[in-house]
Amino acid sequence: MRNGLAIFCGAFLVLALSWAGVLLTAHRQLTGLAQYKDPAEDTLFPEPLNGLADQGRAVYQDLGCASCHTQQVRREGLGGDIARKWGDRQSVARDYIREKTVLIGTTRFGPDLRNVGKRIPEADYFYKLLCAPEATVGGVALAHGMPSFRFLFDLHPAIAGQPSVDAVKLPGASAVPAGYELVPTLRAKALVAYLMDLKDTYEYPEAHPFSESAKGEGEHAK
Amino acid sequence: MSDDHSSFVEQSGASDDSLQQVHARLQENKPEKPQGYAAFPLVILGVMCSLIFFSSIYLAHYSAHFDPQIFNEHQEPSKGGPVVPVLTQPMRGKKVFNQICITCHQATGQGVPGTYPPLAGSEWAQGDEQRIIRIVIDGLHGPIHVENKDFNNAMTALGTTLRDEQIADVLTYVRQEWGNKAPPVDAETVTKIRAELGGRTESFTSEELLKIGK
Amino acid sequence: MNPPDNQRTEQLDIDASTRWPVLLLFGSALSWLLVGGLLEIFASIQFNVPAFLSECAWFTHGRLSAAAESALVYGWGMNAGLAFALWLMARLSLSTLRSGGWIMVAAVFWNSALTLGLLGIFGGANTSFELLEMPRFVTLLLLGSYLLMAVWIITTFSIRNTENVFASQWYLLGAALWFPWMYFVARTMLFTAPVHGVVQPIVDAWYVNGLYGLWFTPLALAAAYYLIPKILGQPIYDYYIAPIAFWWFAITTAFAGGARLMGGPVPAWVSTIGSVANFLVLAAVIMIGVNLLGTLAGRVGAAQKSVTLRFILLSVAAFFVAALLNLLLAFRGFAQTAQFTFIPVVRDWTIFYACFSTAMFGAAYFLLPRVTGKAWRYSSLIRIHYGATALGTIGLVAGLGWAGWHQGQMLNDASVSFDAIVNTLAPWHAFHTGALILLAFGHLAFAINFVFIACPVNSRRTPAAVIQAPPAMEGAKA
Repeated sequence: MRNGLAIFCGAFLVLALSWAGVLLTAHRQLTGLAQYKDPAEDTLFPEPLNGLADQGRAVYQDLGCASCHTQQVRREGLGGDIARKWGDRQSVARDYIREKTVLIGTTRFGPDLRNVGKRIPEADYFYKLLCAPEATVGGVALAHGMPSFRFLFDLHPAIAGQPSVDAVKLPGASAVPAGYELVPTLRAKALVAYLMDLKDTYEYPEAHPFSESAKGEGEHAK
Repeated sequence: MSDDHSSFVEQSGASDDSLQQVHARLQENKPEKPQGYAAFPLVILGVMCSLIFFSSIYLAHYSAHFDPQIFNEHQEPSKGGPVVPVLTQPMRGKKVFNQICITCHQATGQGVPGTYPPLAGSEWAQGDEQRIIRIVIDGLHGPIHVENKDFNNAMTALGTTLRDEQIADVLTYVRQEWGNKAPPVDAETVTKIRAELGGRTESFTSEELLKIGK
Repeated sequence: MNPPDNQRTEQLDIDASTRWPVLLLFGSALSWLLVGGLLEIFASIQFNVPAFLSECAWFTHGRLSAAAESALVYGWGMNAGLAFALWLMARLSLSTLRSGGWIMVAAVFWNSALTLGLLGIFGGANTSFELLEMPRFVTLLLLGSYLLMAVWIITTFSIRNTENVFASQWYLLGAALWFPWMYFVARTMLFTAPVHGVVQPIVDAWYVNGLYGLWFTPLALAAAYYLIPKILGQPIYDYYIAPIAFWWFAITTAFAGGARLMGGPVPAWVSTIGSVANFLVLAAVIMIGVNLLGTLAGRVGAAQKSVTLRFILLSVAAFFVAALLNLLLAFRGFAQTAQFTFIPVVRDWTIFYACFSTAMFGAAYFLLPRVTGKAWRYSSLIRIHYGATALGTIGLVAGLGWAGWHQGQMLNDASVSFDAIVNTLAPWHAFHTGALILLAFGHLAFAINFVFIACPVNSRRTPAAVIQAPPAMEGAKA
C-alpha cells in the first residue's frame, strides 16, 4: 500500500463513516426530542431546571463532580441501580433535555446522583454534606470518602442574637467554633438547588418496555 | 546489556533501506508457500467471515431496529407510530387525585381523623354518584357523618378547576381504589348534573345531599 | 553485506535533522510525565485522605483528576507521540525532516496552550467532559499547534526518497490525520455548536475511544512494527496481511465508542454497534498478533537482551490485554458488573500507559542516542526504569482489575451500604497510589538519563554513541 492519497482517502473514509454512522445518526434521531405532554394532566415533562438550579448545574460541571458520580440509572436486570433505590426506572434520553450540559459520568466512586433530589429532599442535609461529609449523624457519616467543599461556604463572625437564616449547623465534632457561623455562598446555594432538582419521576412511555423479544431465541452468547 | 554501570546504546539489526525493500517485496509478491501454516490466509478469512456472521446476528437481535426511543436491547420496537399508553379511567383519575385530593384525603384514602373524612370504605364514595358529583362541583360544608364518625369541615368547589371528564375520572378512581367497589362515573352524567345545577356556586350540606338520590 | 557508507551518512543526516524538534518535544513530554504523574498521585491520595488539598477550590478532586489526566494525555502523550512520529516518518521516508524550526515553535505553542488549559481547569473552567476538560479558549491554539507539527509528518512522507512504504508509516499517517479531525469534531459538537441532550455523552465516548484507539494505539503499533524487525534483523512474519490488519483495525475501532455507554440513557443501538465493533476488531488483533508475535517467536531471548524490545514486549502484551478488556466490556453480562468501577479505568490506562507509553519508552531508548550522538550514561537507571514500569504496570492491571470486579459486585448488591464499598476500596486506592509512585520512580530514572544524554551541558561527559552500521535485512525465506 504505497499511495499516500489512497491512505489519506481511506483514513478520511474510516472516520467519516464512523462520524456519520454514530454521531450524525444519533444527532438526527435525538436532537428533536421534545418534552412529553402528559395526556391526563396536560403538563409537559420534564420540567426545565429552575434558574438557580441551572446555575448549580454549571457549578456541578466546573467542580468536576462527574469524575466520581454518575447520573444514569440502569434498567432493572442490568445491575442493582433500581434495587439500590437510585431510581424507580431506567433513565431515558428525554430525562436529559432539561440540562444544557449532560454529564452522565463514567465511574462510581460515589453513588449515582440522578434522583438524589428525591432521596434527600432537604437543602439542609446537602449543605451539611458539602461542608463536612465525614460528620456523623447517628453514627453514620454523611458521605464517607467524599472531599469537603467548605470553600463553597463563608465562615464569618456571627452577630449575637441575629444568626443568619442560612447558617449551616454542623453536628458534634465538626461544629463551627463559637461566635462564628458558616453561611453558604451563592455557588453553594445554586449547587444545592440543582441537586434538589435532580429527580426523574415522570413515567414516559419509552421508559418501560411493553414487549420483550422472545427470550428463547434472544439470549445469544453476549 | 552489561551488568556494570557503563553506558549503553541499542544496536539495530538491519538498515532502514533494506527493511523497506524486504517488506515491500514481501507485500508485493506473496510467497508461493507463505511462512508457516500454508492454509493461514484461509484461516484468517474464516475468522473474519465468522466474526461478521455472529456480529450480524447480534446486531439484528439487539439493535432494536435503530429506534431512538428504545433503551433496552431486548425490547421489540412498536409497529406503527409513536407509543401512546392507553390510560384507563382509574389511571387518569389517579393523576387528578394525586394533584388535588391527596392533600386532605391522603394517598391511603384514610383522610385525617377528626378533620377530613376518609374515602376508603366510605359509604358516601360508594353510594349514589349524584351526591358526590355535586360535592366535587360545588363543594361541601357543615357536619357530615362518614363511616360512623362525624366530620365538620369545608371542601373547596372544584367545578371550575376540573373538567367534566376529570371529575368523572377521579370519582371512578375513588370508587375503585382501596377496596372500594362501586360502578364508574360517566362524563355525560357529570355534564348532565352540571347543567341541572345551573350556575349554582353555593356549596352543599350533607342534609341537602341526603335528600337527593338514594 | 554492509551497506555503502553514503547510506549511513544519509541516515546520520536524517537523524541530525530531527534532533532539536525531537529533543524539545521529548523533553517537554518528560516534564509533563513527571508533573502529570505527580498530579495523578495527589488525586489518588485524595481518595484515602479526602482532606488532602481540599481547602483550596483549585485542587478539589474533580478538578485535580481532570487536570492530571489532561496533563498526561495531552502533555506526555501528544508530545512523545509527535516526537516519535516525526522521527520515524523521516527515517522511513529516507528524507530529512524539514522546517524543524516551525516544529519547535509549534511545540512551544502547544505546551503553552496546554498550560493555559490546565490553569483553566484549576481555576474553574473545567468542562467535565472526559479528556475534553480544558476550556474553550485553548481549542484553536491546541489545534493550530498540532497541525503545524503534524503537517510535517505528512509532507515528509510526500517527499519520500523511496517508493517503498512500510506498515509503520500507514499507522503514523492514520494517527496524524485522525486526531485533529476527531478533536475538532468533538469540540465543535460539544462546545461551539453544542448538540442537545444525550448526544453529548455519545460524542464524548466517540472521542475518547477514538483518541485511545486511533491515536495512541496506532503509534504504539507503529513502534512495534518498526522496532521489532529493526532490532532483530528479521522481517515481519506474514507481512502481506499487515495492510488488511491496518484497515480492519481502523474501521472497527472507529465504531467502538458506543460500547462505553452500555445500559446508559442512549438508544440501545448505540451500545450495540459499539459491542459489535469491539467484537469485529478481533480479526485485526489476531492478524497483528501473528505479525508481531510471529516475528518474535523463537527470538524472545534476543528480544529480552534489548532494552527497547523489552519495553515493546510489554507494549504488545498490553495491546492484547486492552483488546481483551474491550471485548469483555462489550458483553452485557460482564459490563453489568464491571461498569463504573476500576475496570474501565484499567482498560483506558492499559491502552494509554501499558501499551502506548511503554512503546514510547522503548522507542526513546532506541532513537535518542541516534539523534544526539551520545550513549545512555547509566545502565542501572535503565534497569530501574524497566523494572519499575514492568512491576507497576502488571501490578496495576492485575490489582485494580480484581478490585474493580469486587467493587462492581458490591455496587450491584443493594444490601451492601455505600460506606462499606468505600471502606473496601480504600486499600485499593492506596495500592493505586503506591503503584503510581513506583512508576514515577521509573520516570525519574528515565528523566535523569534523558538529561545526561540530551542537555548540552550535562552530556558533555557522556560517551559518544558507537552505532555500528547495521547489516542488510535477510531476504524473505522461501
